[in-house]
Amino acid sequence: MIALFDNLKTHLPFSFLDNEYLKLIENNAQIAYYPKDTLLIDENVIPSTFFVIIKGIVEAKNMEELIDIYQNDDVFAGIELIKNKPSKYRYSVYEELICYEIPRDVFLELCQKNVEFKNYFFSSIVERITMLKERKESAKMADMMLTRVDNSILHTACIVDHDMPIIDAITKMEDNNSVVLIVKNASGYGIVTDANMRKYILYREEKNLTKISQIQTYPIISIPEGELLFNVLLLMTGHSIKHLPVLNEKEEVIGLLELIDLLSHFANQSHIIHVQIEKASDISSVIAASKRIDSMINTLHLKGVKSRYIAKLVSEMHKKMYAKLFKLIFPKEWHDNCTLILLGSEGRGEQILKTDQDNGLIFKEGFEPKDQDRITIKFTETLDEIGFPRCKGNVMLINPKWAKNTQAYKDDIRRWISSPTNKDLIDMSIFFDTFAVAGNIALFTELRDFLMAQIRDHQIFLPHFARAIESFDSPLGLFSRFVTGDEGHKDEIDIKKGALFALIHGVRALSLEHGIYKTNTTERIKALNDIGYMNKEDASDLLEALEVINTMRLHSQLEKREKGITIDNYISLKSLSKLERDIFKEALKTVEAFKKRVSYHFRLSMVS
Amino acid sequence: MFRALKQKWNRKHLTDERFSFLFDPVHEDEIIVFDCETTGLNPKVDKIISIGAVKIKGNKILTNEAIHIFVKQETQISHESITIHQIRHCDLDGAIDSQEAIEKFLYYIGSRKLVGYYLEFDVAMINKYTKKMFGITLPNKQEEVSAIYYDKKIATIPQGNIDLRFDTILEDLELPKLQTHDALNDAVMTAMMYLKLTQMKSFKIIRR
Repeated sequence: MIALFDNLKTHLPFSFLDNEYLKLIENNAQIAYYPKDTLLIDENVIPSTFFVIIKGIVEAKNMEELIDIYQNDDVFAGIELIKNKPSKYRYSVYEELICYEIPRDVFLELCQKNVEFKNYFFSSIVERITMLKERKESAKMADMMLTRVDNSILHTACIVDHDMPIIDAITKMEDNNSVVLIVKNASGYGIVTDANMRKYILYREEKNLTKISQIQTYPIISIPEGELLFNVLLLMTGHSIKHLPVLNEKEEVIGLLELIDLLSHFANQSHIIHVQIEKASDISSVIAASKRIDSMINTLHLKGVKSRYIAKLVSEMHKKMYAKLFKLIFPKEWHDNCTLILLGSEGRGEQILKTDQDNGLIFKEGFEPKDQDRITIKFTETLDEIGFPRCKGNVMLINPKWAKNTQAYKDDIRRWISSPTNKDLIDMSIFFDTFAVAGNIALFTELRDFLMAQIRDHQIFLPHFARAIESFDSPLGLFSRFVTGDEGHKDEIDIKKGALFALIHGVRALSLEHGIYKTNTTERIKALNDIGYMNKEDASDLLEALEVINTMRLHSQLEKREKGITIDNYISLKSLSKLERDIFKEALKTVEAFKKRVSYHFRLSMVS
Repeated sequence: MFRALKQKWNRKHLTDERFSFLFDPVHEDEIIVFDCETTGLNPKVDKIISIGAVKIKGNKILTNEAIHIFVKQETQISHESITIHQIRHCDLDGAIDSQEAIEKFLYYIGSRKLVGYYLEFDVAMINKYTKKMFGITLPNKQEEVSAIYYDKKIATIPQGNIDLRFDTILEDLELPKLQTHDALNDAVMTAMMYLKLTQMKSFKIIRR
């Protein structure tokens, strides 16, 4: 067995073949070497072999127009052979080539005997993506991320009626050796844990507690059967709960999920980090725990978890971290008189790797913070230490512009909307993505409601706001070719300028118009679908494109971090496989279509 | 002149006329690249465990006609050699005895030119068997891959110290490295080196 052939079967379309046919390939394929510029298949000629690239780059050209590029593990000449039609393009070697050549007859036999193999060549990009996904899904079936809640990991729930005397209920619990009690009420369930029991012991006489329903926590947080374990983990860590009842379709409790069991299924550190942040009593423990988030991201990405789930988990952790730091660093008298807000990407919950400190403070009107400089600098320096680079745009609470009272913010909002400069529009975008993470949240909701009311009264502002989506050209040129070549970035694409910005900002503008309070782009798209602005198909296309772009960005950023290169938004086209490039192109096309839609929606052509 | 003389002398000693084709005019179209796995590094005492060989025709490696012969062992393979080649006794189940193996190899190579990495050693190993069996040494033309590499390299860095290790050459030529080391895979990798060295248009210096 020649080891090179072993590699074949891990790639589409060869992964469709069984050993018998792989053997057939091995017995008939040859390895060929071609220097640069060799013409492999000329225009109007029927190829005589099927090509599989081992190493090198091949270009397909129509006259001088570059149609496609093939690289390691890519295949070509398949369709021409199956259809027995002359090639429309010239295939030539761009970078010296080592490849397999599978003779025409053998290739045709493979196609004839293996329908899936043959169909691969006629499948559209979309179908290929699905095939790739299915293959990935099946490969990861064992992976916990995709495992759903089923009976196997559930404990039997100890259920009692709401009018049962407390002592009887506890006796039943003891007999069943349960850790918690589920209380069945006239409508819905409640739960009794150790914490409720403590309260019972302390207050039973004072409050005359007799029935179990008097000490329950009601209503209960629960999940439906079949929920993804990953979402369950998010829910449990988000609410800091350890026991979670699972309901069937009829809303009956079928069992209890214990956090400890769930965690034993997840080999990542997410919960440990959570607990460390939660329990931290000094700043240095928060820093230590937060620093571990990065290695968790790596693990999750390698496991193939969708980047939007990683973002969700990371943002949950960051929120906890900010809330903790707020408590530890800001003086007690501040707590009710100010709100700590996260802005920009952090506010949208989309910052996976630490790229920016985006934060601010809203003070209650009339509150005079003492020592403001010292305290905000301390906060910023703590974030420095955790590894958040300072925001280049100076969107940080050490900047008085982002640490002032509600009245001052309202003045800003009025000015932003009535006579916006470019800088104001950027500030407005950043502010509209705000998430209030700690302190007196009402201060923020007041501002947000004020902002929304202002927008309703000044609809003319929206087109000006939306116009920024046209700031950058698409990296997709004529005939869907990539346009690359910023200075110092040959064959690279700035994915943020080229796609992500337009998508996020377009969604942001639409959300502003429709009064959507969500800040996360995924959730905003879903909300736009819910209110009927966007149909389900468009919404899921857009979500898919966002996912592709974010995954590629995360992947390249993780790689750069590994190599110790500064993290930026460039993606190297050379590092993508043909399929990945095609998927990327589809995503860019979706973003382009969305840009047109937004542009038409706000009549941007009429705004100057 | 000497080659012709030596060849004549060699031919005279051939005891088995079935193999006279070895002395036919050189088969110019095709080249044989081969590699042997042996029980050790001394041709005098050590034995061949397996032979892997592929043909090169023009710019192509005819992997579809490759052979991989395993030779039956009379004595136990040493532990040391097992760890190097990862060939255990049970891997030699499909093995044939040395007489049959050498005959099969000779039929395969015919009068083609032989190419290899540290070819001298592999030829010496084969010669030990052919001498005993048929009275001759391999009369085929021979070409050493590391020597071609050296010549190309020395032109670009005169007086340089040139690293001729197998992996270094493979890396320098930017060829794919196969994880498995057996006679056939090594022969295929050597064939890729040979193709690239003889077919490439210019030689870039990648490392010094």
